Amino acid sequence: MPVNTGLATVSNDLLLTAVVIYALAMLAYACDFAFGKKKAPAARAAVRVPVLVGAELAETGAGQAAPPAAEAAAVTSGGEAGPPTRLPIPLPGGRRRGLRAALGLDSVGRFVTIAVVLTSVGLAAHISGVVLRGLAVHRLPWGDMYEFVTALTCVAVTFFLGVMLRYRAYFLGLFVMAAVTLVLGLAETIIYTPAGPLVPALQSYWLAIHVTAMTLATGVFFVAAVIGVAYLFVDRHARRVAAGRPTGSDGILRRLPGPEVLDRLAYRTVVFGFPIWTFGVMAGAIWADKAWGSYWSWDPTEIWAFITWVVYACFLHARATAGWRGRRAAFIQLTGFGCLLFNVLVVSLVIPGLHSYAGLT
Amino acid sequence: MTRLRIPQEAEPDALAAQDGTAGSAGPEISVGSAGPESTAGPESADFADHDGTAGAPTSGSAVVGLGVAGWLRWGWRQLTSMRTALILLFLLAAGSIPGSLLPQVGTNPASVSQYYSSHPLMARIFGDLSLFNVFGAPWFAAVYILLFTSLVGCVLPRTLHLVGSARQPPPRAPRNLTRLPFAVSYATALKPEAALEAAQKALTAKRFRLRTGPDWVSAEKGYLREVGNLLFHIALLGLLVSIGLGGLFGYKADRLLVTGTSFSNTVTALDEFHPGRLVGPTDLQPFTVALDHFSASYVTSGPLTGQPSSFVASVRYSASPQDPMHKYTLSVNHPLVVDGVRVFLIGHGYAPTFRITDGTGHLVFEGAVPFIPVETAGLTSEGAIKVPDADPQGLGFAGVFLPSAIDVGGRLESWFPAPEDPMVSVVSYAGNLGMNSGPPQSVYSLDTSGLRRLPITPRPLAIGQSMKLPDHLGTLTYTGYQQWVSLAITYDPGQMPALISGVVVLAGLLLSFMVRRRRVFVRTSTDEAGRTIVDLGGLPRSDAAGGFEEEFAGLAAEMSGLHQGRLDDDHNPSDLGPSDGE
Repeated sequence: MPVNTGLATVSNDLLLTAVVIYALAMLAYACDFAFGKKKAPAARAAVRVPVLVGAELAETGAGQAAPPAAEAAAVTSGGEAGPPTRLPIPLPGGRRRGLRAALGLDSVGRFVTIAVVLTSVGLAAHISGVVLRGLAVHRLPWGDMYEFVTALTCVAVTFFLGVMLRYRAYFLGLFVMAAVTLVLGLAETIIYTPAGPLVPALQSYWLAIHVTAMTLATGVFFVAAVIGVAYLFVDRHARRVAAGRPTGSDGILRRLPGPEVLDRLAYRTVVFGFPIWTFGVMAGAIWADKAWGSYWSWDPTEIWAFITWVVYACFLHARATAGWRGRRAAFIQLTGFGCLLFNVLVVSLVIPGLHSYAGLT
Repeated sequence: MTRLRIPQEAEPDALAAQDGTAGSAGPEISVGSAGPESTAGPESADFADHDGTAGAPTSGSAVVGLGVAGWLRWGWRQLTSMRTALILLFLLAAGSIPGSLLPQVGTNPASVSQYYSSHPLMARIFGDLSLFNVFGAPWFAAVYILLFTSLVGCVLPRTLHLVGSARQPPPRAPRNLTRLPFAVSYATALKPEAALEAAQKALTAKRFRLRTGPDWVSAEKGYLREVGNLLFHIALLGLLVSIGLGGLFGYKADRLLVTGTSFSNTVTALDEFHPGRLVGPTDLQPFTVALDHFSASYVTSGPLTGQPSSFVASVRYSASPQDPMHKYTLSVNHPLVVDGVRVFLIGHGYAPTFRITDGTGHLVFEGAVPFIPVETAGLTSEGAIKVPDADPQGLGFAGVFLPSAIDVGGRLESWFPAPEDPMVSVVSYAGNLGMNSGPPQSVYSLDTSGLRRLPITPRPLAIGQSMKLPDHLGTLTYTGYQQWVSLAITYDPGQMPALISGVVVLAGLLLSFMVRRRRVFVRTSTDEAGRTIVDLGGLPRSDAAGGFEEEFAGLAAEMSGLHQGRLDDDHNPSDLGPSDGE
């Protein structure tokens, strides 16, 4: 079937629109950091929620036995617990040290509201653009490098919106949107490839399985890396504060959650992405077996997918090892994402191999 | 070597709990944390136990006193420690990098020899370090063998542990439940025993494992997490064994096949043959494949003009010489399977056909000569025609085949990969081709060192055109072209075991990430007013999946509702909060 060039053009326009709206959303998140109301460090009062008539409540101060990092987290993030209505079930007393509560960004500022709306509109344009590209070429729209990047940023923004709304992690906005705007902008300019049919090697339903999984995992790791970078800054700030050293400007850092919260959020994000990556690599191996005759042939892209997998496995292990948690683990996580980026940007484009489908010459 | 360890699973929650309840969280915190109320179980969560060596020697002098056995023990402990495993993992990742940056013998031997000729010194050094064969290098093998030994050393004790812990009840409830990361107290009108019984029922209904005392219940759930974790690591071993199976009993081969010809799967008929270590020439499955027709189609308009859109080869095959031939349509992603061996279509090209007569007028060559594509946009291909037995002098031709020839400023190029206007241009040589002596030559290129270039300007030939060689050396006629395909033939008995291992790897990973190991404790007491106070404490033992908060809240709501409900009606428990009872 021939390529529907009309739809392809609309898709391009929509994606360009998405880049512009994302840039505006990024601006709005930045405005929130710059002009939004700073929350006063809330008093971490004990929470009393009457559960039963006449019932005694355990009165437990928040963060009572928490490590110093958690204290810092509570201080920098402000409010301790979300409003009780946000909890699925009224928690009868006890400490609330859950992630959402700790993020505690209850009152959403004007700029954040604007930013969230812009992000959603941009995402709608982004998704429509990806879908139309698929309709234009009559296949899943991740057959070349350009399509892969537009799809993976789409996943990243969707995942980020989900995380942001579920965990009220609005602080991520600026960083994720900055990265997405940059990457999608690069996709639209430098690595743009016109719509076309797939080369025979890619004509397999395994494209849907393998590349979809890789796209999903890359999008998720993308968000994890952003959180990891935020963690490193917040952690450095927290340690400087703890050491009583001058900290310089802390405008943004004051509005971020504590290092412990970011660390856990990054960890959970990686834990979410790692099985998808594993599955994607395996699906790729099965496909390679059908297409090239060997399920693993140490093709450069395979090697770097393997390296990425090993480094993320390192991260998961490091986080459970004394002396490797915290900063070191965060650096390992970022190294993992660096390997992933290297694979997407350098290996696919520069090093010849079986995976050279970038569509660039 | 002092190695004081903090609890490995030590999530902030668990840390907090640990400092409150003396080691309730640490799997094997042996360092001064075992109070009388210690709930420290032998089990652990997460990847924690890789380092589960509580009794490592604490000082150098102690080690010296241990002798050979002690040293071995120490070495084993070092090897199976998480730290070593981490370093080995890093080495594995770092060691793979040269495999992607340098050409590898296994995948691209031609580039390796090219590297040797262009950078002789570096190539020698790299070669000595096995950097052109990273994934077969001894040092790479050393890394992964050590890693997997470390893995075995970790997995074996943990499996025994798991079996042991599955037989043991959960630990006793700590005295002060309010110090746990999740804690709730409430008063109930029930008697303590009745309240405890109700709690027991609720926990049993949720399939917790229970242990009871006079005024407490402790419950634990989520053993599958550790099962999943072990499955994951064991399946990785399975994957390695599967790869090994393929390396021992499998083989890979290549064969270039011109349309209208056939070949049998024997060592001599294969262009390249890479047998496994235990594969002999007689182990090859005796099938035959004949290529009847090959067609390629390309995008004909738009910016992607020239990009291939399909490759289809019509073949016939038989499993053995006695069997009849069957037809099969071979295409990319659709290999032919014969007798457990798979045949893949991995490449294609053109084989122009020539007819050459020598100076004496004898027909010395007639047939197709496979040319190798040197670029993909127009499939310009190069090849060599060798006629060593021509009279009076041996003849050699270095040729270029242009599927769709076009003149670009005096230079011929091919603008499209399909044969729209297939032309050939050859440079002619005469002399001793040296094919009966000296080092083996490539079929696809001409070694011109011992040859004399004939004084004739290369002129592009269209099909049917001839070129008369000077000095009455003969005539070359370009008669047409055939297409060829290159086939990869692979046999890998480790394939199915690898697939099964892969599925188990993934299942284990998901289990270990999605199942939470958690403990719930209930204690009853009576306050000054004579009311029954129920303390409920929760201890998540891993934070990967999260969500314990909700579960605990639900449990608390259910139990308190249960207790409250008992006041009115034994069979109508909850009137408060959603009860997610099973």
